[in-house]
Amino acid sequence: MEHRGFVTESAVGRDVVLALNGTWFGEGLPPETQQRLATMGQVRRVPLSTEILREGEIAESLGLLLSGRVALRMLVPERGMVTILTVEPGDVIGWSAIVPPHRATSTVVAIEDAEILELSGERLRAALRADPILAATVYPRVLQAVSRRLSETRLQLLDLFAREAIVGDGLRAW
Amino acid sequence: MTSATQPRADGAARSARPDQPDARFLARADLGALIDALRAEGRRVIGPVRRDGAIVLGEVAAADDLPAGWGAEAAPGRYRLIRRGDERVFEHNAGPTSWKAWTFPASAPLTRVAAAEGETTYEPAGTDIRPLAFLGVRACEVAAILVQDRVLLGGPYVDEDYQARRGSAFIVAVQCTSAASTCFCASMGTGPEVGPGADLVMTELDDGFVVERASAAGRRLLDRLPTRPATEEAIADAMTAVGGARATMAGQPGVQIVGLKDRLLARLDDPRWALVAERCLACANCTSVCPTCFCTSVLQRSELVGTASGSTRTWDSCFNPGFARVAGGNFRSRTRDRYRQWLTHKFATWVDQFGTFGCVGCGRCIAWCPVGIDVREELLAIAPPIAPSVLRPSPAPIAPTPQEFGTARVTATRHETRDVVTLVLGDLEPALLMTKPGQFVMLTLPAFPRLPISVSRTRSDGIELTIRSVGPATDALTRLKPGELVGIRGPLGTGWPIDAAVGRDVVVVTGGIGLAPLRPLVDAVLADRSRFGAFRIYYGARTPGDMLYRDELASWMASADVDLHLSVDRADESWLGPVGVVTHLFDKASWDGSKSSAFVCGPERMMQATATALFDRGFHGDRVYVTLERHMECGIGLCGHCQMGRYFVCKDGPVFTLAQLGDIFGREGI
Repeated sequence: MEHRGFVTESAVGRDVVLALNGTWFGEGLPPETQQRLATMGQVRRVPLSTEILREGEIAESLGLLLSGRVALRMLVPERGMVTILTVEPGDVIGWSAIVPPHRATSTVVAIEDAEILELSGERLRAALRADPILAATVYPRVLQAVSRRLSETRLQLLDLFAREAIVGDGLRAW
Repeated sequence: MTSATQPRADGAARSARPDQPDARFLARADLGALIDALRAEGRRVIGPVRRDGAIVLGEVAAADDLPAGWGAEAAPGRYRLIRRGDERVFEHNAGPTSWKAWTFPASAPLTRVAAAEGETTYEPAGTDIRPLAFLGVRACEVAAILVQDRVLLGGPYVDEDYQARRGSAFIVAVQCTSAASTCFCASMGTGPEVGPGADLVMTELDDGFVVERASAAGRRLLDRLPTRPATEEAIADAMTAVGGARATMAGQPGVQIVGLKDRLLARLDDPRWALVAERCLACANCTSVCPTCFCTSVLQRSELVGTASGSTRTWDSCFNPGFARVAGGNFRSRTRDRYRQWLTHKFATWVDQFGTFGCVGCGRCIAWCPVGIDVREELLAIAPPIAPSVLRPSPAPIAPTPQEFGTARVTATRHETRDVVTLVLGDLEPALLMTKPGQFVMLTLPAFPRLPISVSRTRSDGIELTIRSVGPATDALTRLKPGELVGIRGPLGTGWPIDAAVGRDVVVVTGGIGLAPLRPLVDAVLADRSRFGAFRIYYGARTPGDMLYRDELASWMASADVDLHLSVDRADESWLGPVGVVTHLFDKASWDGSKSSAFVCGPERMMQATATALFDRGFHGDRVYVTLERHMECGIGLCGHCQMGRYFVCKDGPVFTLAQLGDIFGREGI
């Protein structure tokens, strides 16, 4: 993952397996899978306002947010940066790292000081290609993360709070 | 024999029995005729007798055996006979024995085992008893007999010995005309008026007894007694006397049974269990004197020659050290665990098992506890009832017809967002000042349709309504100025059942203007904060600028009493809080929904998504409350607009549990 801004490069002395278990993504994965992932990962501290990923650029790592909050933003001409979604601890950042064409679908910015467990996209992709058992274990979690985001986005798309139900002969507050 | 009632969950007063027109009067001098008639049927008559410094239950051969002129005083750890200045025979309350000594004796033979010529046989010991008659069974004790009926006869397997004894018993009940300091039948809903289960019901006066039949057998017996019609005066005296016992109990501690089961089970870790265990001797007196305790053990006795043995059922007690012992350990080795087992069984788990409380309020366990432990006091400390601010009766609405409307005056207005206004209404009928959280009112302005509007706060001097301008009528309402009048009917509908959440974690999930009907619930929980577990609020809005009550949100955010989470559907860079649907905030949370009650309000599609996320968190449908919005013209169940399946949302709701709604919730076109 390419970092901009004030990134602390040094890994925090934390057991990566423990960190994995602190996320719904990694919790409950078989111990051997966690061990494999741990060899590819490190924990990074990301200060507030850091741009972690930019829309359209290559996502170099699959991130699991351990603490803090990051915003997924898209630039809309004449409206500026719009926050599409925020990611809370436990969730995935940069799933594009293992899904072709590996380009980020939004810009990711830390809106609080954050800790991220980063798994190297290159090594993870190679491992998933070479090891069907690992792939069968990890991909469902990735799919779950992506489908969760998809279904929530659909609810957002409904814009439920924008208008009220039309009932009877007029509009009513619910 | 009936097992249909007792103790009543509502604790409601029932009318004193002697209001029946065919009540009879039995002169005191003719009481012996009643005993003779029962004995003539071949029955052993059991009634109160004075023995060993107490009024106990024993065999009665004649009226002279009854404790004429004796009464008893009872208090925690104390029981004393007193000499009265009259000749009354039933003017005392529950003594140390109860009728279970005859229906369910402390010791009863079960099985005979014989071994001969290589064969071992098991034979039921059988029950060979004379029919029984119980004379002077108090209301709480009739209730206790029905409780034991449920336990020993109401399931798929019955206790045959109990069945035989109980089935033979003719019950002459007596309504109490005084109450000891230990009595609390009124709060348990079992007395002092005698409910179903008796054959005859008597109320004692100075010169005799008002007697009523309460069964066909009771009528047949009564017909053979030398009675005359009870005068209106005697009936009135009897009712007044029973009312006096009720009044005495109203002035002394009782048990608040509403919500008790849930409150108690939420307190399994209360430090009070250890405190009461410091006093409790685990002597089992309470279970011995309790008229409903039914636990037994089986004793085996062998003859010395070794060819025959017999087993005997004996009363046991959950306080006895070996009660929960197994090879290798004891599940309840500590007194605190045993006391907790007893109290939570009587007042909570019994309800799940048998549909009633296991306590009838006789007070025996209080009087006969050697150290004076009072269950009423322990329950109050461990599972306190909810404060009146939370639990109060539903007020009757003002203007409860389709034609009528009252008026209210706007005393203040406040802009919440660009299209949402909060109106403060004053000059209200008192009923509106008693609006419960979750209730609504119908509002009307001349020439506009009538609208249901949730009450967003109940104040001492008025109510608040938070209204979003979405059409001509709501637009007119949001433009009202202080001093103007509005037509009003209410309060209407069910409220949030906050009492059912006492002792549990509370989760509020809401979106947009849905926070308005939930704000009174937040007020109520914060006003009684210690009665609830963790309090989590998840509030979603379209944009940060669409959030209601922003000052209050800020204070809740800063408060340690609430765990508030805000989310918006869209935001610019200045918003650093969460963006996304509100369920995004808790669908992967770690807290345990099985210990929580959830209150949800928002667009139905949002509530559906919330329900799914809550079920994933371990919630049960009967612990998730939603409030529904429907077209309403009247608000009182007459116009038919708000029908949803078998409900009218206005009067059966608007608050429902998801379990109530079942699969009609969120279904298209219902």
